[in-house]
Amino acid sequence: MLHLLKVDLKKMISYRTFWVVCGLYFLTLAFTTASGMEFLKWLASKGAEFGTSLNISRIPLYHFPDVWQNLIFISGFFKIVLAIMVVISITNEFTYRTIRQNIIDGMSRWEFLLSKILTNGLLSITSVAMVFIIGLVTGLIYSPASNLEYILTDLEFFPAYFLEVFAFLSYALMLGIIIQRSGLTIIVLMLSFMIEAIIKVNIPDQAEFLKMFFPMESITNLVAMPFARYAFQEIQDYVSAASVAIAMAWTFLFNYFGYLKLTKSDI
Amino acid sequence: MLGPNGSGKTTTLGMLMGVVNPTQGEFTWFGQAATHETRKKIGAVLEHPIFYPYLSGQKNLELTAMIKGAPKEHIAKVLDIVELAQRKEDKYRTYSLGMKQRLAIASALLNDPIVLILDEPTNGLDPMGIAEIRTIIKRIAADGKTIILASHLLDEVQKVCSHFAILRKGNLVHSGPVDDVGRGEETVEVFAYHDDLSALLQHFEGTLSLKKEGANYLVKLKQEFHSQDLNRFLFGKGIVASHLVTQKKSLEKQFLEILSEAENKSHLTRS
Repeated sequence: MLHLLKVDLKKMISYRTFWVVCGLYFLTLAFTTASGMEFLKWLASKGAEFGTSLNISRIPLYHFPDVWQNLIFISGFFKIVLAIMVVISITNEFTYRTIRQNIIDGMSRWEFLLSKILTNGLLSITSVAMVFIIGLVTGLIYSPASNLEYILTDLEFFPAYFLEVFAFLSYALMLGIIIQRSGLTIIVLMLSFMIEAIIKVNIPDQAEFLKMFFPMESITNLVAMPFARYAFQEIQDYVSAASVAIAMAWTFLFNYFGYLKLTKSDI
Repeated sequence: MLGPNGSGKTTTLGMLMGVVNPTQGEFTWFGQAATHETRKKIGAVLEHPIFYPYLSGQKNLELTAMIKGAPKEHIAKVLDIVELAQRKEDKYRTYSLGMKQRLAIASALLNDPIVLILDEPTNGLDPMGIAEIRTIIKRIAADGKTIILASHLLDEVQKVCSHFAILRKGNLVHSGPVDDVGRGEETVEVFAYHDDLSALLQHFEGTLSLKKEGANYLVKLKQEFHSQDLNRFLFGKGIVASHLVTQKKSLEKQFLEILSEAENKSHLTRS
């Protein structure tokens, strides 16, 4: 297992594009999630111009345990960048035909896929660690009460976040294996949400419950949008077991479809 | 392994190396069903050299070594064999075609393979490059490694190989030792200053057929006759040949003959 991960990382570690894309990902992730207070201040100054006063200390963006769901929800938008990196990594193997040489050199097709899946796992774990550190630091700075009990509340959002990123990267990997060309794959990847939305709109009201079974929907449902709570609305401030089950099933299917395509076709 | 373009040489090798799924049939390596583990003991380059263009030659070989489970110390050794040690830190995409081919051979040699598969290793190279690759192949063959070579360069195959097989449209049409090529009737190219050489040669008891080519005559000899018999015959008649060459049947000729035979056969069976 570790050996396969090392093999795939070896391909990446001297690849400049990998560092540029990952660097951009983690930088934007860090800056965006850490600058929520600055955004609120800007919002307040705008509000002051129009004569409405906004008491930003009343919005506990970074207070434990709110900070976890807030940051994770925002971070979820950036997984597309990581997914594009995954697409580049797998489609390169087809464009350069290096997957062929890897197999000839003695990798099994399953080992090849597993090496890519393991990298997906590593990227997901790194994202989780990154968001956790940013949440912890900003929380300690802005939170009035930073006792351990508050800090340790709502941590279940992290496994959910891991699943969210990992499921989406699995989807990107599958697309790359099926389409094999980077440009087209990235376009399909970006349009996935829109295509799914169009299908969902056409679902009759009686079959409303079907919507939660759609792949992109299931990934999005893992961590619900939390900000409405600051407008005194009810939000889903927990991870629902159903959404976890559906997302896990899709993750398995994505990788399984990738496996099927890889073993059935000539390389 | 010989055959015209599109006869299925690379496809056959691809099946043996697990990248093409066979529609039917089976094969074994070293007497066992093939797995990806068997492939680690085989060094193979199919068609073009394939490497990560953004990695250096050294890094590419390190990656291959990881996949094959070959010791890292072998890298310097194989780079020396193909004389690429000086350029090993340069990116693969900066290499010339000849260097790419050499790197491919180096990577095939990495795990000290039992069998080496080379598919058109001199394809697209200039005469210098071809000579270099040929020297390398001969050096490896001298080490006692089994080499499976798919090539168009029949001259080369004749020099390097001990056995050959010919494919045509995915079917095996011939296989046998290279030594067998050239057995059978001898053809002798002969010329002498004599007014009636043609009639004289017709009278020679060993002559099977006679053909004029330019100023020379091509005498196809019967099975048990050789060029020295013809020479002796002419000398006995008081004629000294000014030109006498035994034409060895080349692999190229044999190759074309076998192919056209196979063609005829398939025409016959079809009609």
